[in-house]
Amino acid sequence: MKRVEVKLNLEAVAPLLDVIREAADDLRPELATSARVPDHEEEFSAGWKEELLQGQNTDLGVLLGLFGHEFFATGVLPLDPTNAEAILRACAAVRLRLRAKHLEGLGDEALESSAVPLEALPERQRKAFAAYVFLATLQELIVQHLDPTVLE
Amino acid sequence: MIPLATKTRTQPESSTAAQTRLADAWHVVVLNDPVNLMSYVVMVFKKVFGFDEMTARKHMLEVHEEGRSVVWSGVREQAEAYVFTLQQWHLTAVLEAGERKQA
Repeated sequence: MKRVEVKLNLEAVAPLLDVIREAADDLRPELATSARVPDHEEEFSAGWKEELLQGQNTDLGVLLGLFGHEFFATGVLPLDPTNAEAILRACAAVRLRLRAKHLEGLGDEALESSAVPLEALPERQRKAFAAYVFLATLQELIVQHLDPTVLE
Repeated sequence: MIPLATKTRTQPESSTAAQTRLADAWHVVVLNDPVNLMSYVVMVFKKVFGFDEMTARKHMLEVHEEGRSVVWSGVREQAEAYVFTLQQWHLTAVLEAGERKQA
């Protein structure tokens, strides 16, 4: 993957960052998915989850780091081999959290097809859904550049 | 065992050890989740297991349509390592004991 710069519409993306940051904050002390640790003693299980959590927090830091001063000045997200995988994983974690916290009531079919009646949703849920779709789009873009065959 | 082209595959240490391990295989199972994208799951399978495109897609579709797919089978230590890596990618991966036969 070469370095890719994605130019985003600041007006469209900036309002979503609060809900993304909030989800990332929620995830600091807990895993996005309840990791099922192979049957081992308690210490092993705790170490397993702790290591997953550390990795998750590192990834979330990389994702949030994209939306700093430079992003607000230029609207550009720089993606390259050093941050792409961490961003992919962080997007997955935040999407899992958004679904669990805000979107579960919408149903999987509606979420998968994006056939969600936006106008009928409360503002917070509408933003959460928009962030959910935005992060999926970012993932698709990265996957396509990491591995062009995957979307053929 | 699912054919693999992975660098991390564990080599048998001896024929006796290999026989014991074959008799005591563990499965890495990926369960369906309603969030992760199909293209993302395919990419993760290719990256983690070294699957070719067709194999990765086959497993992804199995997960999507049947709710689960056994993506790797073998010795416990390696299977645990794969489960951990898949969980780092936020896939729902579990370790299951295979059918035990007498060595």
